[in-house]
Amino acid sequence: MAERPEDLNLPNAVITRIIKEALPDGVNISKEARSAISRAASVFVLYATSCANNFAMKGKRKTLNAGDVLSAMEEMEFQRFVAPLKESLEVYRREQKGKKEARKDKDKKTDSEEQDKSREEDNDDDDERMEEEEQNDEEEVDN
Amino acid sequence: PGPARLARLPLARVKALVKADPDVTLASQEAVFVLARATELFVETIAKDAYVYAQQGKRKTLQRKDLDNAIEAIDEFAFLE
Repeated sequence: MAERPEDLNLPNAVITRIIKEALPDGVNISKEARSAISRAASVFVLYATSCANNFAMKGKRKTLNAGDVLSAMEEMEFQRFVAPLKESLEVYRREQKGKKEARKDKDKKTDSEEQDKSREEDNDDDDERMEEEEQNDEEEVDN
Repeated sequence: PGPARLARLPLARVKALVKADPDVTLASQEAVFVLARATELFVETIAKDAYVYAQQGKRKTLQRKDLDNAIEAIDEFAFLE
């Protein structure tokens, strides 16, 4: 059962927390405003994805990568996001590397949890597990 | 610590949105992560921009109309119109 994009929302609690931390102490947010921001965030993801996918296709790649997302940010006039995103990505990569090392040690015994790969079959909604591509380690961020 | 923090938005939900695009074949886990972080930055940005209007109205509660005003006034938010 494919979900309609409008149905795909982000968790209210997380959105609210991000908003509150961005605003000064003592500032509140109405439910309607919070809802509107949450919807805007979903639209942002959809638009950024589409934009990023154009870069992937331009590069004749079938896999959308981190660099494509960064290119999309520039295209969408959110250049100021690029530097902090690159920093976050570095931290994320180090973390993932650390996890991988830990898994290699466990690899002796058969683990029910598979090696993470990020693969998508068309609209395979059953596959909710986050997966990691082997080639991510070699992937360069172009921007 | 600082700006380089890991995502608070659950990656699975972000991934679900990515999968909603029929033109997308595959997305790396890193791409989903960067999208999640970018979305968080976007939420922070739009909240702050909207708050300017609440301040103008001498209010301490951000309201829907503050969002609408920010979206109308700011070029980067044109995609939301």
